[in-house]
Amino acid sequence: VFSIVSVLKLFPAALKPATLTLATYAWLARQLGTMLVPIFTLKLNHKINPRMVTVGKFDGVHPCLTAATQAGKVFIHNPHARGQRPVTHRLSQSTQDSDISLLNINQAVTCLTAGTLGPNTTGDTLLVGSQTNLLAYDVHDNADIFYREVTDGANAIVMGKLGDIPNPLAIIGGNCALQGFDYEGNDHFWTVTGDNVRSLVLCDFTGDGKNELLVGSEDFDIRVFKEDELLSEMTENETVTSLCHMHGSRFGYALANGTVGVYDRTARYWRIKSKNHAMSIHAFDLNADGVVELITGWSNGKIDARSDRTGEVIFKDNFSSSVAGVVEGDYRLDGQQQLICCSIEGEVRGYLPASKDLKGNLMDTSSEQDLIRELSQRRQNLLLELRNYEENAKTNSGVGVIPANTQLQTALSVRPATEAQKAHVELSISTPNETIIRAVLIFAEGIFEGESHVVHPSAQNLSGCVRVPIVPPKDIPVDLHIKAFVGGKISTQFHVFEITRQLPRFSMYDIAVDSSVAPPSGRVAFSINDRPQRVVMWLNQNFLLPEGVDSPDVTFTSLRGGGLLSISMASNGQITLRTDDIDLAGDLVQSLASFLAIEDLSAEADFPGYFEELRTTLTEVDEFHSVHQKLTAAMADHSNYIRNMLVQAEDARLMGDMITMKKRYRELYDLNRDLINEYKIRSNNHNALLACLKSVNQAIQRAGRLRVGKPKNQVISACRDAIKSNNVNALFRVMRAGTASS
Amino acid sequence: MEIHLNRVDYIQVGVTSQKTMRLLPALGKKATQKVAIADHDGVLTCFGMKKGEAVPVFKTLPGQKIARMDLGGAAGTPQEKIFVCSGSQVRGFTKKGKQFLTFEANLTESINAMHVSGADLFVCASYIYNHYCDCKDQDYYLSGDKINDITCLTSENLTRLVPVLACQDRVLRVLQGSELAYDIEVPGPPSVLELYNKDGGNDLSAGEEILYGTTDGKIGLVQIGEDSAATKWEIDNDKKKGGILCIDTYDIVGDGVNDILVGRDDGTVEVFGFDSSSEPTLRFEHVLSESVTSIQGGCVGKESYDEVLTATYTGWVTGLTTEPQKTEAGPGDEVRMSKETQSKVEALRAELEQLQVRVLQGREQYQQTSQSSTAVSAVPVFSINDKFTLCQDDASYSLTLEVQTAIDNLLLQSDVPIDLLDVDKNSAVVSFSECDSEPNGNFLLATYRCQANTTRLELKVRSIEGQYGTLQAYVTPRLQPKTCQVRQYQIKPLSLHQRTHSIDQDRPMNRLSLVGQFSFAEIHSWVVFCLPEVPEKTPAGESITFYFHNTFLGTHLEATYCKGEGHFRSDNISTISILSDVLSKEATKRKINLNISYDIDDDSVSHTLKMIHPKLEYQLLLARKVQLIDALKELQVHEGNADFLIPEYRNILDESASLLEEYKKQPAHLERLYGMITDLFIDKFKFKGQNVKTKVSSLLEILDNYDLNSLLNFFNDVDM
Repeated sequence: VFSIVSVLKLFPAALKPATLTLATYAWLARQLGTMLVPIFTLKLNHKINPRMVTVGKFDGVHPCLTAATQAGKVFIHNPHARGQRPVTHRLSQSTQDSDISLLNINQAVTCLTAGTLGPNTTGDTLLVGSQTNLLAYDVHDNADIFYREVTDGANAIVMGKLGDIPNPLAIIGGNCALQGFDYEGNDHFWTVTGDNVRSLVLCDFTGDGKNELLVGSEDFDIRVFKEDELLSEMTENETVTSLCHMHGSRFGYALANGTVGVYDRTARYWRIKSKNHAMSIHAFDLNADGVVELITGWSNGKIDARSDRTGEVIFKDNFSSSVAGVVEGDYRLDGQQQLICCSIEGEVRGYLPASKDLKGNLMDTSSEQDLIRELSQRRQNLLLELRNYEENAKTNSGVGVIPANTQLQTALSVRPATEAQKAHVELSISTPNETIIRAVLIFAEGIFEGESHVVHPSAQNLSGCVRVPIVPPKDIPVDLHIKAFVGGKISTQFHVFEITRQLPRFSMYDIAVDSSVAPPSGRVAFSINDRPQRVVMWLNQNFLLPEGVDSPDVTFTSLRGGGLLSISMASNGQITLRTDDIDLAGDLVQSLASFLAIEDLSAEADFPGYFEELRTTLTEVDEFHSVHQKLTAAMADHSNYIRNMLVQAEDARLMGDMITMKKRYRELYDLNRDLINEYKIRSNNHNALLACLKSVNQAIQRAGRLRVGKPKNQVISACRDAIKSNNVNALFRVMRAGTASS
Repeated sequence: MEIHLNRVDYIQVGVTSQKTMRLLPALGKKATQKVAIADHDGVLTCFGMKKGEAVPVFKTLPGQKIARMDLGGAAGTPQEKIFVCSGSQVRGFTKKGKQFLTFEANLTESINAMHVSGADLFVCASYIYNHYCDCKDQDYYLSGDKINDITCLTSENLTRLVPVLACQDRVLRVLQGSELAYDIEVPGPPSVLELYNKDGGNDLSAGEEILYGTTDGKIGLVQIGEDSAATKWEIDNDKKKGGILCIDTYDIVGDGVNDILVGRDDGTVEVFGFDSSSEPTLRFEHVLSESVTSIQGGCVGKESYDEVLTATYTGWVTGLTTEPQKTEAGPGDEVRMSKETQSKVEALRAELEQLQVRVLQGREQYQQTSQSSTAVSAVPVFSINDKFTLCQDDASYSLTLEVQTAIDNLLLQSDVPIDLLDVDKNSAVVSFSECDSEPNGNFLLATYRCQANTTRLELKVRSIEGQYGTLQAYVTPRLQPKTCQVRQYQIKPLSLHQRTHSIDQDRPMNRLSLVGQFSFAEIHSWVVFCLPEVPEKTPAGESITFYFHNTFLGTHLEATYCKGEGHFRSDNISTISILSDVLSKEATKRKINLNISYDIDDDSVSHTLKMIHPKLEYQLLLARKVQLIDALKELQVHEGNADFLIPEYRNILDESASLLEEYKKQPAHLERLYGMITDLFIDKFKFKGQNVKTKVSSLLEILDNYDLNSLLNFFNDVDM
């Protein structure tokens, strides 16, 4: 409830240019040479943690920019209603800026969002996640709605409706786990995922009118969950740091290596890579053409808007420091949404969508000029190419000349470890004649430290053959884009041969088997209704086999771990995979199932070694829990003791008994040191606990990956039940048999 | 006073060299001027603009690459004859395109600078200067370093023609006949000379003033007298823009005073005007995406609208015109304009289609040759415009590469440890590859994958003195059939040294003397091997002295040598140590016996440490302040204000933004200083025949709690 007066002084000096009319704005735009300028600029004087920015209407009317800042605080910028805020509980007024209220979380904030959670609330609920807790807070009433402990942490948060669950949920992603809470703090949704979650978004991926949950994680995967059922997995090549919904089934993503792009369902529309990092992405229709653009805020302070279809830049602007977040809201309360960009130093700029007469052209250069320039450039390129052919026909000598029939030969082969070299896949590249290969560049995603690998022999080691050792760290299929510089020994100009070779998914497995190695004890068995020939086809496509195989019964040596992997198929269609590596077994099951287009697949499994490890981990979890409780109790004791000591010391001071006072304070100092030490123990204990919990979550995920479709979800939820009821034996039964019963 | 200029692209020709585009004099008062431009394909094109379209006046047949162009004509008549030089030949054309002169200068090297004045022709080829009058030999001069440009003064105050050479060794040489009259020291290697107020002007000194631009981006005006010169003003390059490639004077602002138009090799176009105090001030700036090779002021696109006309490396002729852009014109105009563009676009598209067909045929034929066992594939060499220079301010090397078509990728390889620094302007995605120093000797392997339409790349590398080798860049443009070209850049042992005009002789100096059976040419080649910016040609005369200063530490080096003898003096003992190592190694390679003697001044080490002291102290303080910023900000947020802090801390908070920026600008500065102090320490005792490598850890401890006196004591007191 706000008085007229407070509405009138809505935009004080801080939002300076807001009084400009559209006409003056267009004039200003032309004067400045850029067609789109910020409609307001704020300097908030508070740092903003990257990716922890949101806009919430906490009173149901006024949007407030809310962001996590230093020292475990969250600030709420509310320029709309001054002098009406009660100062109690968590909220306190910032003395630096009267428009800002600070919310004390007392823990490092890891994520936050705002939105409608409860059924009968007037305004948005603010949700703040930390490594151990999730707080749902009513800013307007200044009261906690719920405060839950979340053992898996909250790295990312999203609020909204998921699938058929009736109430909106606050879904957090932590260490390998996803959890959804309703307004009462009840946990309505729980599942596990492959690795630590870094980004979440809700969108109608299937087009059935209900939201699916998209999860980006540190194992480079974007997973799509229809409630707790895993629908699809898209493998990228770096940690997925941000996701945002564009429109329909289209969504944008950003990776830790500076890639941003757009997917439509499982198909990638476009992507671009920059040397800077994308800090935040957001969908907003900046050029007012009815279709949202992907707005990216970069680590170098750049903001750009890219067409959702082509990735072409239609607008850019620069901040002086890294962008922290990109959000939108009707910050001027005039019925128009503004794009709001914030930098980590607390600078905020709001942009209004372009007016219609700009015709979608937000850049200052005239597009006609650009078109002509582009066409001329193309003409120039063609002319140059033509000249290349003409000169080539004329001259028959000179530097950098190679026989016209030079062809590059490439071969991939598996090389087991030798004394001098680790086990690797060898890519050999050779020329058939006296020409030499000066250098080889291989561009590939996910297998090298950067995006490329270079082999550059020294001048005395030049030859017509280059062998490149490749050690793919994960079992993923990779396209190797090879560029080889071919010429003479003293050439300064080389021909560039470009070839793309595919490295099959399971390339680090050697068909040669050392009979002395003990057979693996772990196994997974399942039945398929398909001919053995199809399995043979799958083998030939996914393994590096020099001659190919014709039977589905094969044994490989793993070049990474050294253990064996054997695959066998019985006449009744039962396939048994034997390996001690449960991850590999999961990968094989998933790869085979998708090759044979199997939707549901149940399996029996046993991985004695791994299960034993897991059992130890589970006991450790219990131990860490009890240590945690003991330490908490000890800490409470100490704090009582401190209180007493302090009173005694102050008493002594008032009495003028300096000797006792000194003694007490010295004791207090010792106690303080003890407390710090104890804190260190506690935090170590906590970290160890977190690591254990993560591996438990991973175990559930791994057990799930041995199955496909419904049986997979059954295993995951049955495992979860077993853990909840603390029934370790049931857990292992589920993992082995695939169901809780029997 | 600000001006607004709008960009208009006219035509594109082949790759152009520096100063190869000129505007022909206007015929009427307000008529548009014709443009003459020459390119690397050897084609001289002359065109005019009619209704927004480039209409050719004439175009010569392709031939040898054209390196320079100048306009000339009999004295007192319009300067409308076009002179171009290619190879060692100079040709003259009338404004209609009729060739009236072919002159073979009979030089062994190609002409790279030329000036025409009436019947006089001045040409320069690397070190040589020649003057011809009516095509007859007049004067000859051999310069001490490479000649980058030439111009010639004619004035009523001067009794004769005065040629001025811009030489790489940071001097302008003023000639008198075949003799050097005097030289003028300038702050950087001059790359371009232009007459100021070439049309006479109104003040007394008109025609005696020369504008120069340097490769490190500085501009200056000097007044040339009979036997001395005076510098009028200099514009420094604080913003680290590119080197100057071309200068012109023209009154584009329209205030009656000629403005200075400048084109740089990073694509920057600038207009400097003069305020009431006659100081040049920047009035306009525009950035094109590639090197600006020529710049002219005049009227081309539309009559009575002045413009700045530029030509770029890849041959684009672009105008920055005072004519308002059509968006600000009435609606009627807009329709007409877009019709024009439309027909232009259609014509281009049609041409593209035709070309496409021809290219397809070409491709097919090329494919077919790959079936033949006798045919060869020889793709012509594409041109690369590269520059590898030492930046004085941060003591790092900047490498710029420019290709006439878009670059696809770049491979950098180095056989010596160097650091690759991030450059903001460079948008390419860099990736460092694993290196195998054994057996292939790679210390750096990095690929740059360029964004579309990148024709120019800028990189920065940081070298360590004493570590020398070669940096190689493999450039692959986006052009079929795909080829790549390698360029090599030497990282010299004393890579951070730069030539200077004089040194401070009062400093305590260490001396290294060599005596042996070597020739002048031999010792000169060793010095070339060790130090940057030394001309490759053996200097004329019996002996030579070069002065250098270390761009990072500010220490000096003097090199004096002649046949059989060489003396090197420096206040930095590490410099002497590196020189002695490299020189003895080079001599051994040629089996020459060297007699090396040292004269070490112990004070020099303390002196160098004292020179480092202010830098080190500043850096340490900066690092400490920057470290505190975050914590202080947190306290400020916590307490609500900063009033409770001591003034020192409040100061840090107030200046936090500038402190952070300063800190970001000089990455690893402190580490480099530590490295140099460590070298100094090791080298000091090396000359005493002691190995102190084991003491380095205690030195680093002292540096961690730095205090000048304790460091000096450590250097003096270490008990070996």
